[in-house]
Amino acid sequence: MIANILINGLITGGTFAILALGFSLVFGVAKILNLAHTAFYMIAAFFIYTTSVNLGLPLAFSAVLAVLFTGLLGMVCYKVLLDRVKKHETAVMIISLAVGMLFQELLLIIFSGAYRRVPPFIPGFTELLGVRVSYQHLLAIVVSGFILLGIWALMSKTRLGKAVRAVAEDYEIANVMGINVSWICTLTNGISAGLAGVAGAVVAPLYMVQPYMWMHPLIMVLAAVVLGGLGSAKGSVIAALILGFAETLVIFLVPGGSFLRGAISLCVMVVVLMLRPEGLFGVVFEEERL
Amino acid sequence: MRSGVNQSSRFNRWVLTVFGVSLVAVFLFSAAEVLAKPTVKFGVITTTKYPITTHQWWGAQMAAEEINAAGGVNIGGVSHDIDLIKAESNELASVTDAANAMEKLLTVDKVAAVTGGLRGEAVLAMMELMADHKKIFISSGSGSKETSEKVAENYDRYKYYFRNTYINTVYMGKIQFALLDITAAKVREVLGIKTPKVALLIEQAMWGNVQIEVAKKLLPEMGLEIVGVWRPSPHTTDVTAELTAIKSAGAHMIFTGMTGPGGPVVSGQWGQLQIPATLSGYNAFGSWEGTWKATGGMCAYEITYDAYAHDVAITPKTIPFMEKYIQKYGQKPLFVAGAYDALYIWKEAVERAGTIDADKVVAELEKTDYIATYGRVVFHPQGHQFPHDVIWGPGYMTTVGFQWRDGKQICVWPNGEALFPALSTDPGWKGLKYQGTQDVQLPPWMVEYWKSKK
Amino acid sequence: MKYLSWFIRWINNRIFSIPGRVIALLFVAAILAIPLITTESYFLRILTLTAIFAIYAASWDLLAGFTGQVNLGQAAFFGVSVYTASLLNIHLNLPVWATIPLGALAAVLIGLLTCVPALRLRGFYLALVTLSFPIILNGVVLIFTDYTGGELGLSGIGRLSGSRVTDYYLVQIVMLVVVFMMYKFTDAGSKMVRTALIFHAIREDEITARASGIDTTRYKMVAFAMSGFFAGIAGGLYAHYMRIAGPSTLELIFSFQAILWTIFGGIGTIYGAVAGVYILYPLIEVMRLHPAGEKIQVIVFALILIFTLLFMPQGLTTWVRDKIEVTCPRCKTINIWYRKKCRSCRASLHLEKRDRQSEKGALDEVDL
Repeated sequence: MIANILINGLITGGTFAILALGFSLVFGVAKILNLAHTAFYMIAAFFIYTTSVNLGLPLAFSAVLAVLFTGLLGMVCYKVLLDRVKKHETAVMIISLAVGMLFQELLLIIFSGAYRRVPPFIPGFTELLGVRVSYQHLLAIVVSGFILLGIWALMSKTRLGKAVRAVAEDYEIANVMGINVSWICTLTNGISAGLAGVAGAVVAPLYMVQPYMWMHPLIMVLAAVVLGGLGSAKGSVIAALILGFAETLVIFLVPGGSFLRGAISLCVMVVVLMLRPEGLFGVVFEEERL
Repeated sequence: MRSGVNQSSRFNRWVLTVFGVSLVAVFLFSAAEVLAKPTVKFGVITTTKYPITTHQWWGAQMAAEEINAAGGVNIGGVSHDIDLIKAESNELASVTDAANAMEKLLTVDKVAAVTGGLRGEAVLAMMELMADHKKIFISSGSGSKETSEKVAENYDRYKYYFRNTYINTVYMGKIQFALLDITAAKVREVLGIKTPKVALLIEQAMWGNVQIEVAKKLLPEMGLEIVGVWRPSPHTTDVTAELTAIKSAGAHMIFTGMTGPGGPVVSGQWGQLQIPATLSGYNAFGSWEGTWKATGGMCAYEITYDAYAHDVAITPKTIPFMEKYIQKYGQKPLFVAGAYDALYIWKEAVERAGTIDADKVVAELEKTDYIATYGRVVFHPQGHQFPHDVIWGPGYMTTVGFQWRDGKQICVWPNGEALFPALSTDPGWKGLKYQGTQDVQLPPWMVEYWKSKK
Repeated sequence: MKYLSWFIRWINNRIFSIPGRVIALLFVAAILAIPLITTESYFLRILTLTAIFAIYAASWDLLAGFTGQVNLGQAAFFGVSVYTASLLNIHLNLPVWATIPLGALAAVLIGLLTCVPALRLRGFYLALVTLSFPIILNGVVLIFTDYTGGELGLSGIGRLSGSRVTDYYLVQIVMLVVVFMMYKFTDAGSKMVRTALIFHAIREDEITARASGIDTTRYKMVAFAMSGFFAGIAGGLYAHYMRIAGPSTLELIFSFQAILWTIFGGIGTIYGAVAGVYILYPLIEVMRLHPAGEKIQVIVFALILIFTLLFMPQGLTTWVRDKIEVTCPRCKTINIWYRKKCRSCRASLHLEKRDRQSEKGALDEVDL
């Protein structure tokens, strides 16, 4: 039982973590709630499907292309649509939601609502501690670990990372210091969308690919980011794991209630926030008085 | 420089010609209208946003084309062409939209009757409008028993409702238990286990609650032991946790009931992880032909049922219908394609009644005894627990239990044996076996696993 | 006779000289007059639902637009009222005029429950917590299927009134009354009701408001309770109009609808929410039922939203108001845009133009 909960919780949490990380990054830096984040994940999944199944390109190559394509799309979307209304928080939220809906409908028209399948990178399964785990799941966790390390290295060791962190902390001063804030924001959006693309490549083979697949992960990602605390990438990853474990605990301890997994993990989020209003690792900003 | 008189007379001539031509055109057009056949409008309320629901529209479309090609509907001696009008119900996303679509069909398009409907909650809303406007509604999708129970509750108001497919959820439950029974027989035969352990993996839904109550009483009688009950959401996207828990519980068989998009998730992940238990029950989205591709063939050895299975002739109409359907639409029909028969049933009732007046057609519909593409359609009469529902049983509509093998749906039930007595005491089951029916096969990985455990 | 001329002068001053109010008056006249032109059942249905959703959207605006508490779970208020009204009607046989207020009171309770996190959380955190409420309620509905009918919901709820036309009038009049009440409650310039001013204060700068001695907690609770109440009225009307009650009223997308309509119409103005619903809902609905329109319906909706927010980020009605109305810089009365002098204080309305003109003249003389 314990092994089951441990392994499954890790898997569920790990898959949310990749998505949560990208979302948190963009929010921390550009202060934008990009509700279309999981829609990028969906686009990457469809892209891989089209290139690998319809066009017959090798899987790894398709994945790389998908990540690049999604990253670029993210940058373009940000520059064209979101940059000019950055100041109005709610406007950004609504526009990004509308963009997500737009993508959904376009994919519905092109691909119809039929379910499709992206073949897994590594087919088959194995047993860990007596628990059946598919190789693709393991790959998802390993990849999310790598991504975390990669982003951490990017943010702390490189000049670009420093610039991004500067913009996240105080964009006015960063601007004064000569950092091109607009470009940094665009780039961060690109990286974030690229991360969503990686999630699409790695996570999509685990689920059915269809135009409505972006809605459920969106809620879980938002919950993870909020629980972890806005502005903290580490927080959102840990929160994703916590929510994943919460869901798994429900399924194993109350099997008759497994349909409540979503509701219960949200309950967990609510309770934690009541006790700690900034989230687990949230950075408390002084309210700006303008 | 042309003179003014010439110019104006030229212009006048031009105007006169145009006028004359348009007069002739109008005359010809209206003549064509008058000479064209009178039409009767028939509404189809469905959503084409999901892969399984497009079949409802396709079935109706094919029927309308065939009927018109054969001369149309004879209403009181005058032959009418069917004008099929589709309304997008969007019922899986919004019940309000579904109700609006129904009202538009009934009041703006002024259809004589409607078929369609899939989601239980939406069909209940559509029934209210049907009753308000007193028009016929032949439901060809949802199986919720609550709809026909309403007819029993208030016959005068809801009598315009009929359901020609699917059988209702009570009958669906019986079929699932029957499939479990024959699978259990195979498990006993091959593995020699006297009391196989069963895990219940049934979606959270009203009808699922009923099934679990019934299962708790019935399974011990059938010589089966329940090891646990898991209730995923009908829209679940991941059941790996549930499946690994089921494996840990030592189950030999999984009894499933999924009517939502979570169905292929269950069958796909079950096959991918090669969970050592049989998978039988009901999987609505999983009986769609595309599920094989959508799960990458991982749903192999799953046992579920549908109104149609490849190459199984239930009635003389089945195979010709399926072949024509596959040729036209590229997919094998799903149960909702029974909208095809809904149109024919309505046509015959109208022709017997001689009018499209709803009350008279209702009286004729109640007398329906029609050989459809999926069985013989007779409706339960007023006074029955489920009035106006299609009768389930040997000689009527049975559906076809099938097992996925090599990308095809191989019929495994009815298998010619009598049903477990608690399910049905109808003697007609014994000997009822469609051509092409084969034995149930256990998934090879499951047999290996349990044999090696001994 | 004196009163008549006084009344005419009052109307002229208060309503006819303000373009925004003229439009509102025309709108009211139009919706009341529609059944005289057509009693087409489908048409009335769309407009009745529009009115119900207008109340719903306006209730969200009251909360988010005026007190700044962004609530992503408005569907919870609506859904609770729908279920309560239905249960009361089915099991206790209560008539319509009892079930709707009682349903609204149930929604008030949920509103106060939602307020509890709002006291501790801000901004995005609050938004997410409110988002989870309808989802959790949905879970509750699916657990207690004996009472709620599970995913099929409840059916056979009593009618709103005898016919489509009376339904229509009932709902429209309730909408007008309720929206007017909401408008008065949030009109900061009102001398009668102080709450509006305090709501504005809470939205702009809560810390200062608290420092000034206002009990923001109490006013936030009032805001949530009011929002819940009005959303509940909408829910009760919906239950009796549709005659079924199901979990579709608690769906996430329904919460978002209120937000989308209001933001399109103009946040922070009750009439903006109403305008948003009246423009978008019939448009999208009619599009959906046209064979070609069905595919592009959501795309058009999304595009309209995106373009409105890019070019009119404050919303449609605010943008239109800016174009047709001018506020006098001296006495703050609202004038119609083509006036040159204010109607009450005779001050010049378009100062900048004149200044710019004179500036131009000065520069022209200089030879550069």
